[in-house]
Amino acid sequence: MPDQAISIRAMNKYYGGFHALKDIDLDVDRGEKVVICGPSGSGKSTLIRCINRLEEHQAGTIKVNGIPLDDNVDNIDEIRREAGMVFQNFNLFPHMTILENCTLAPTLVRKQTRQQAEETAMSYLERVKIPEQAHKYPGELSGGQQQRVAIARALCMAPEIMLFDEPTSALDPEMISEVLDVMVGLAEEGMTMVCVTHEMGFARQVADRVIFMADGQIIEQAPPGEFFDNPTSERTRTFLGQVLGH
Amino acid sequence: MTDLSMQHTLSFKTVKKHYFATPLNSAITVLLAVFTAWVLWGLFNWAFLDAIWGYGKNEECRTHEDGACWSFVATRWRIVLFGLYPFEEQWRSALACIVMLVVAILSCVPVFWSAKRLPTLWVIGFATFYILMRGGVLGLTPVVERDWGGLSLTVFIFAAVCLLGMPLSIIFALLRRSEMPWIARTMALVIDVIRSLPLLSIMFTFAIVLPFVLPDWAIGDKLYRVIIGYAIFFACYQAEIIRGGMQALPAGQEEAAKALGMGYWNRVGYVVLPQAFRNALPPTINQFVITFKETSLVTIIGFFDILASGRAAAGTADWSFATIEMYVFVGLIFFVFVFSLSRYGAYLEHRLNVGSR
Repeated sequence: MPDQAISIRAMNKYYGGFHALKDIDLDVDRGEKVVICGPSGSGKSTLIRCINRLEEHQAGTIKVNGIPLDDNVDNIDEIRREAGMVFQNFNLFPHMTILENCTLAPTLVRKQTRQQAEETAMSYLERVKIPEQAHKYPGELSGGQQQRVAIARALCMAPEIMLFDEPTSALDPEMISEVLDVMVGLAEEGMTMVCVTHEMGFARQVADRVIFMADGQIIEQAPPGEFFDNPTSERTRTFLGQVLGH
Repeated sequence: MTDLSMQHTLSFKTVKKHYFATPLNSAITVLLAVFTAWVLWGLFNWAFLDAIWGYGKNEECRTHEDGACWSFVATRWRIVLFGLYPFEEQWRSALACIVMLVVAILSCVPVFWSAKRLPTLWVIGFATFYILMRGGVLGLTPVVERDWGGLSLTVFIFAAVCLLGMPLSIIFALLRRSEMPWIARTMALVIDVIRSLPLLSIMFTFAIVLPFVLPDWAIGDKLYRVIIGYAIFFACYQAEIIRGGMQALPAGQEEAAKALGMGYWNRVGYVVLPQAFRNALPPTINQFVITFKETSLVTIIGFFDILASGRAAAGTADWSFATIEMYVFVGLIFFVFVFSLSRYGAYLEHRLNVGSR
């Protein structure tokens, strides 16, 4: 097993003529929690979506758990199994119950029996504190509940790494903490996490490292104490001034 | 939930408000009511009070001008329903039709909605239908496809076109959305070309032109060639309907399935298609209805579908005056089929909406 959960070298991403990510170098250690922040359009979501090939990079290398992310479909599938993802808009499957959402991929991809998959799913639904909703449909749940289901669904695949793409941005304010609580619990258990978020309180509490991005580049990275109290770049200071609202 | 204020209850107050608000409004209401009553009374008289019922009363009908001659239906219904099918064997055609209807009704029941049960049901249904109609085994006299006719032919063509066309349309829709541009473009071109041709010309091509092009072993009966042509035509329209249903899905649905490590076929089979079909249900039912009604076009290339056999039944000198009664009778049969199809579509829509509030 390599030490690095994720290793990105000289990675570049273009949308047609637009240079979205510029020479990204990033290592995430096993068990490390990394928070990525930055103004909108800075490329932070694109970066996290490149890690499991929801977006394709054009130059440089990405390795996840030592597996190179290239055009080999088997590698892509394996990386996707190793890295769970939680989206801004939850993206639960609306035509399936909560339990079916959680057991679909484990039965199809991990070839678990239905019973196995349901037991695992129920244990994760209990961990995100909504086992009683198992037989409802996503549309019947609140946003916060849906996002907790989405986390449980990703965990059911027993991933080594969890990617969070602005998990609380689409939520009403009163629902943000229930989702963050689940994420803090996950961090405490030692999950490797890469999280794009604007929740600076969360970053301060759980992150080992905070990364600031702007214009498709990593501008600054530091442990949270240093990052929030002594940011080195002017842009980071401006950004922090805006999100912390002083 | 129904908004109670929108409910249109027939109380004195609402009647006054909607129908008798002003003198002009009242006048229009009364006028239209009288006119409607007059039309309905006329129809009722024609269809029931002045009508002639019973078997073989064509002489009576000929001199009687005011009412309908239901005696035509009572006397000639077997020609309408079975066409040229040999008279003594018509029970087979009827039974085959009933088998097909039972299969269709059973496949509307959710118990049968599984990847194994539904195809099994239809294969058995089609086999039974074919053996009954074609004969030649189990002591049944052979009846060639050329002599099939009437309702069972219409039902057979419709069912066969939908069953071949549905899987084909899914394949077309997926190819049309392929990530490889040349596949997607070729499919788009094929769909657009076929959709721009009239159904009739496609039927003619498959019935008459194809035998000159195909090797002998591949020609088959004209009926099957026409069904295949019609199925391709159906699939091109239905593929665009399914594609529309797919495009209405948020991109996040497929991304979520990808992020869970699901492969292409799993994503398509469990995430994309079930939702695409749900989105596309109303136009799909519409397409079925159109397809059922357009089966009548096969008349032109020499098949005796129910409309043609109806015309034949009213085509003899004895019954030549009964065309209206014939069209009413055939129209009623079409109505029963299409109306139940629509109602079933409405039921499905209601049922599927339960999951996606």
